[in-house]
Amino acid sequence: MRISGRRSLMTSLTVGALALGLTSSVAFGQSMAPMADTPFGAGCAAVPADGDGSFAGMADDPVATAASANPILSTLVTAVTAAGLGDTLNGAEDITVFAPTNDAFTALDPATLEAALADPTGLLTTVLTYHVVPGRLSPDMLAGTHPTLQGGELTVEGMGDAFTVNGANVVCGNVQTANATVYLIDAVLLPPAE
Amino acid sequence: MTPQQHHRPSRTTIALGALSGLLAAAVAVGVGELVAALTDPATSSLVVVGGTFIDLTPEWLKSFAIATFGDQDKIALLAGIVATLAIVAAALGVLAARDLRLGVMGIVAFGVVGSVAALTRPGATLIDLLPTLMGTACALVALVLLIRTLVQPASPASPVPDLGAGTDPGVIRLATGEPASRRSFLALSAGTFGVAAGSMVVAQVLSGRPTQAASIALPAPSSPAGAIPAGADLALDGLSPYITPTDRFYRVDTALVIPSVDVASWRLRIGGMVDRPMELDYAALLARPLAERVITLTCVSNQVGGKYAGTATWLGVPLRDLLAEAGVQAGADQIVSRSVDGMSIGTPTTVAMDGRDAMIAVGMNGAPLPAVNGFPARMLVPGLYGYVSATKWLTEIELTTFDAFDPYWVTRGWAPEAPIKTMSRIDTPRPLSTLPAGRLAIAGVAWAQHRGIDGVEVRVDGGPWQEARLAAVDTIDTWRQWVLEWDATPGRHLLEVRATDATGATQPEQRAEPFPDGATGWHSVVMTVA
Repeated sequence: MRISGRRSLMTSLTVGALALGLTSSVAFGQSMAPMADTPFGAGCAAVPADGDGSFAGMADDPVATAASANPILSTLVTAVTAAGLGDTLNGAEDITVFAPTNDAFTALDPATLEAALADPTGLLTTVLTYHVVPGRLSPDMLAGTHPTLQGGELTVEGMGDAFTVNGANVVCGNVQTANATVYLIDAVLLPPAE
Repeated sequence: MTPQQHHRPSRTTIALGALSGLLAAAVAVGVGELVAALTDPATSSLVVVGGTFIDLTPEWLKSFAIATFGDQDKIALLAGIVATLAIVAAALGVLAARDLRLGVMGIVAFGVVGSVAALTRPGATLIDLLPTLMGTACALVALVLLIRTLVQPASPASPVPDLGAGTDPGVIRLATGEPASRRSFLALSAGTFGVAAGSMVVAQVLSGRPTQAASIALPAPSSPAGAIPAGADLALDGLSPYITPTDRFYRVDTALVIPSVDVASWRLRIGGMVDRPMELDYAALLARPLAERVITLTCVSNQVGGKYAGTATWLGVPLRDLLAEAGVQAGADQIVSRSVDGMSIGTPTTVAMDGRDAMIAVGMNGAPLPAVNGFPARMLVPGLYGYVSATKWLTEIELTTFDAFDPYWVTRGWAPEAPIKTMSRIDTPRPLSTLPAGRLAIAGVAWAQHRGIDGVEVRVDGGPWQEARLAAVDTIDTWRQWVLEWDATPGRHLLEVRATDATGATQPEQRAEPFPDGATGWHSVVMTVA
């Protein structure tokens, strides 16, 4: 019986790779942490490739610090700083943050933005805390209605790579930071009137 | 030259040659892990070489790995290393099928690389070569046996059929079913796989031994810590306890795998610019007079309000005693301490010797150091950030100069000298929490190691600064808890804190990033009172 060239090539490489992979992966296995999800979305291309603002850099920093290293979140960072929320967002444990990109702030009605910036500990803080949900939501937990730390609720719809939050699109989702899972969105969310 | 070398090998030969290479590599890994488990797990070739490769990986590749694999970048990079290793092993096998000498040279080359990597780790002894040497030797045996079986030359009794150029007599034997040769190869492959897998299994079983730390009884200190004053721990809900429990102590390091150090073979070497170089084993260290001190340790990477600070009761040999015995030479202004996994840390000699309780610690909160906190010994210098003082898994102390050597973090831009900056933190109320109106405790900790904390102030919603009540002083090397009783009114509130150290200096409001020498700023918490 002739061992056909291609089949034996595949078989033997598979067996050999299996042998090597098995031994190597067991050798490394104990030091490895459980698998985490990966960021998704077309907007992720705008995240810097390296440095503190990259996915690698942000994973090690608490959320406000991580955002401050990311150029597409610079307006949000200005707002967070103006509201005095930097330490608070950094110190909150296990939260989900819906982070409006710079484009989201550009699209916001200028009068609303001015009013918020003029009232940093009032309206601005209210709007910003409306973007924070307790618990780290993974993509498969994302869809649904969630309470925010401002008090009101927001609603997420969609699945897979396509989600909306109160109608705003998630442009880059499941970004890991040290204390928060972040979903970048293309509109600023306004809390429901009381 | 044998006939095989003049013919292009058939695809079957290539395939089975590649398999032989992969199996030989698997044997090297398996046997290497087994020998390492018997001698010292930190020396297994994969861990050492893998760690080196992680360090050498360029930033763009690391970011690509993160973007594609999330925070499993390390796994992805290691998978890349394994994949590369597999391809090289397969290629070596194919080469070996053409000319066994090439395959042998290739494996020997790998053995040399692995041996160099193992020997260049600090504190490495010849025993650390064993995993690499044994692994290489077994891989050589495996490859030679496999390839010899694969390319058995034709026996005189069976003439080689002429099937034209490009065919390989040895494999034609296999192809036309010379049972002995094919069965031998398959049996040998299976056996080799078994050896590789079996070694791995035994290695895993052996590494699961209970750690030696559990069986060590630490001696009593000849210089015990002063009793902790009754009022040093306010014991409030949500407030960090005065002494951080060992299992909640922060951990910051670059270790790919937590070193599992064998206490019997561990040595602490003191050398460099000293009159009398020393080498101590664990028993010798424990036999010396030991001091017990409560010290607060802080990481420079701690952000304002961060959790990378902790306080424990440490038991150890005073560093100045060891250095006095070694005889530090004039001009040695830097103490470079090294850990078993290659980390280097630089400490100013004058600071370590100025009378503060710098020590080589062996005990933490009454028990031997846990592996994650540096077993069997670590350095501690109160008042300096960990990255310039607190080497874990310590194995070497070298007296040198700042001019002569830049330790790990300094080569990455962090300041060579780094006293801990005054800092305070609100532990309770938690950020973005909601609490009922009425009397609430705003409480937290403040530290200014080796200066001491004189006062802590709190302000609510930008109002006037109010003096907080401080817990009793223990020593100037520990943090102090503080509390302010607050009549909380409904609404959202911004709470801020700042501390003043015993030199009279108050924390600046100005924010500084942790890089390059520690963060500054007043910690704030926004919360809601219902």
